[in-house]
Amino acid sequence: MENISQKKVKDPAPLIAPFKMNLWLFMLASSMLFAAFVSAYIVARPDAEAKQLWTSFDLPIYFLYSLIISIVSSVTMQLATQAAKKDELARNKGLIAVTLLLSVLFCYSQYLGWSRMVMQDLTFVNARPEHISASYVWVITVLHFLHIIGGIILLAIAQVKAFRLEIHKKQITFMSITNTYWHFVGLLWFILYLFLYFAR
Amino acid sequence: MSTSALHADHHTHDHHHKESFISKYVFSMDHKMISKQFLITGIIMGIVGMGMSLLFRLQLAWPDEQFGLLEMLLGKWAVDGKLDPNFYMGLVTIHGTIMVFYVLTAGLSGTFSNLLIPLQLGARDMASPFMNMLSYWFFFLSSVVLLISVGVETGPASGGWTVYPPLSALEKAMPGSGLGMTLWLVAIALFIISALLGGINYISTVLNQRTKGMSMNRMPLTIWAFFFTAILGLLSFPVLLGAALFLIFDRSFGTSFYLSDIFLEGVGALENVGGSPVLYQHLFWFLGHPEVYIILMPALGITSEVISTNARKPIFGYTAMVISLMGISVLSFIVWGHHMFITGMNPFLGSVFMILTLIIAVPSAVKAFNYLTTLWRGNLRFTPAMLFSIGLVSFFISGGLTGIYLGNAAMDIQLHDSYFVVAHFHLVMGSAAIFGMFAGIYHWFPRMYGRMMNNTLGYFHFWITFITAYLVFFPMHFMGLAGVPRRYYQFTLVEDFNVWMDVNKLITISAIVAGFAQILFLYNFFVSIFRGKKAEQNPWQSNTLEWTSPIDVRLHGNWPHELPTVYRGPYEYSRPDRESDFFPQNEEDPTAPEVLHVEEKEVAKEEAPVENSVFFAAIKRVFGLSR
Repeated sequence: MENISQKKVKDPAPLIAPFKMNLWLFMLASSMLFAAFVSAYIVARPDAEAKQLWTSFDLPIYFLYSLIISIVSSVTMQLATQAAKKDELARNKGLIAVTLLLSVLFCYSQYLGWSRMVMQDLTFVNARPEHISASYVWVITVLHFLHIIGGIILLAIAQVKAFRLEIHKKQITFMSITNTYWHFVGLLWFILYLFLYFAR
Repeated sequence: MSTSALHADHHTHDHHHKESFISKYVFSMDHKMISKQFLITGIIMGIVGMGMSLLFRLQLAWPDEQFGLLEMLLGKWAVDGKLDPNFYMGLVTIHGTIMVFYVLTAGLSGTFSNLLIPLQLGARDMASPFMNMLSYWFFFLSSVVLLISVGVETGPASGGWTVYPPLSALEKAMPGSGLGMTLWLVAIALFIISALLGGINYISTVLNQRTKGMSMNRMPLTIWAFFFTAILGLLSFPVLLGAALFLIFDRSFGTSFYLSDIFLEGVGALENVGGSPVLYQHLFWFLGHPEVYIILMPALGITSEVISTNARKPIFGYTAMVISLMGISVLSFIVWGHHMFITGMNPFLGSVFMILTLIIAVPSAVKAFNYLTTLWRGNLRFTPAMLFSIGLVSFFISGGLTGIYLGNAAMDIQLHDSYFVVAHFHLVMGSAAIFGMFAGIYHWFPRMYGRMMNNTLGYFHFWITFITAYLVFFPMHFMGLAGVPRRYYQFTLVEDFNVWMDVNKLITISAIVAGFAQILFLYNFFVSIFRGKKAEQNPWQSNTLEWTSPIDVRLHGNWPHELPTVYRGPYEYSRPDRESDFFPQNEEDPTAPEVLHVEEKEVAKEEAPVENSVFFAAIKRVFGLSR
């Protein structure tokens, strides 16, 4: 076969940036993963309860702090994106930095929450058989934490881009992707926290 | 695309890509090359999967015979030429895994989604060529890990392709639950990543990269099928990932998500309590059932395209075809319980799952009806692809009918885990889907390699495979009705099942003949790549866009100049006002100026009498969503 390449032609741009579209689809897929865990929790609980092997325990208060932190960080992230849209670059930089700081704080708060669970003997691998409920909390929170790590990486890249003046009114895609993803992980924690709180 | 655009900035004229061997053939980002990679890997996995089935068929037909060849091939797994029972279980398991995931998901959907989505939609490539490449290489890695698992000391995973715990969760339960099972889980995790990367790309491309004029209601049915398939994969594979994670935690970390009250010989009662093995079945079949349609729907899409092209008729009921695909997709998520009727499920819940399951017969019947009515009084051209498509319709009907039996909760008490189930799914999704894949290969081979496959060999391949497939799977219905259980190693020791030995021999001999027919196909395929007759640009006189992109040159970007514009639907064959019996989608109609079009439309609007259902109007509205 002959190997030729195309002439330079300008194709119409797709309606939505492909990266953005892919992100939405990824969020859909990962929502299904958490839906699976939540459903498993709901299905497994009556079985275990029937054998009196289900312990209800209060979630560590730190998880609630994490929730508050994530809500605040969502607000700062939104403000940062709006600043970028208005070309207020200094404000944008500052707000991304605040969000980044809050995200690290979120991780610390989760860490404290997990430490509290370990102290209460609510470990991932059950030392006591009736703590199967704790295993679920661990799986859900740690998997969510992995999503947060992804968000922090995006935020860090956005921060670097902001310092290099690569985020502004006309180059907003990356910022808006990071924004969307950060809201997604925040919303995810909101829903998961409420679920774990009311279903305990 | 972005790199070629950058290059183009430097050279104003045409330029030759300076592609190395690695970037062109190995880590290629061209969707056409990736589709060939998926196809060849799928074919190799298919050879392994079919080879395994022949090995365990030999055991079932001649359990007391000694095959020296087997000992030579398998060593300690076939001492004295007799297959080891553990290895037999491993073969059954890996055969199922390979066929379901590696051949009929990645090999079928991966090949044709990659090839056709950009070409039939008029796009230069996938939304993200890089992710597309990753998708293939994760699949490749996954295949390698699975094949390695067959060769480990303790044998491959051997709890059946569904790997139910506790059998699969406890290393001491059986030899195959050791390293083999761990590798199986690794392979499946890699496979899920591959499927998700691919699926995201397919959906994103279909929604976002269609060329001018290609509204969704002008998309070929292949694309509709790939689109729904990708959505099913995107929603169900993460759930399998969740199930696999729990299983990994139970196996390697000591949690008890699936384990409770287990007493192992020589070990005593296990500490794991509180879990539920049925939970795994819920999670697994939430993927498992949509997976059946992930396998089948691309084959149905390919069949729609091939039948319409070779009957030289518009597909009967385009909208009905799309709606039935959508109906199958939605229903596939709410019927998983029919795999679990006898797990102690509440009978009321069983009835709900039963009714939902039986409803699937409706969209399936719509599809079968539409295939037959498309064929009816068509100007049929019996190319090998057409024969395989008709074969698919045959399997789809004969295998689908037994689904109605199996979907009944009461019948399932007798029929579950018997050969009736084996017969049912091998016909309706195994043979049907593989026939769809063959149809696709014969039909789009000129598009992939610029050459034609040999028709005569194709006819032999079809007839032998078609007849032997029925000879293999049809008698299994009767065995199943008589209560012969699946996955058993040997039947001669049970008097009731001994009467089926002749049938078992017939099945095995047919399977071996079918295996030889596939050698014909392989010969035809690989020789035609290099020595086949050069293909014309549009060998089947088809309407769709993939035949407008030059097939005799390798071109990353698909069209040398600007992208084609689409003026009509994909199936306008034998239009009475046209001299030729096809009307390519990108050809402007000189006899129908825009003004006439508008007037026609207005007349049609006034006369449209059937728009009496809000539901259909709304759905049409959605499908009419144009760019």
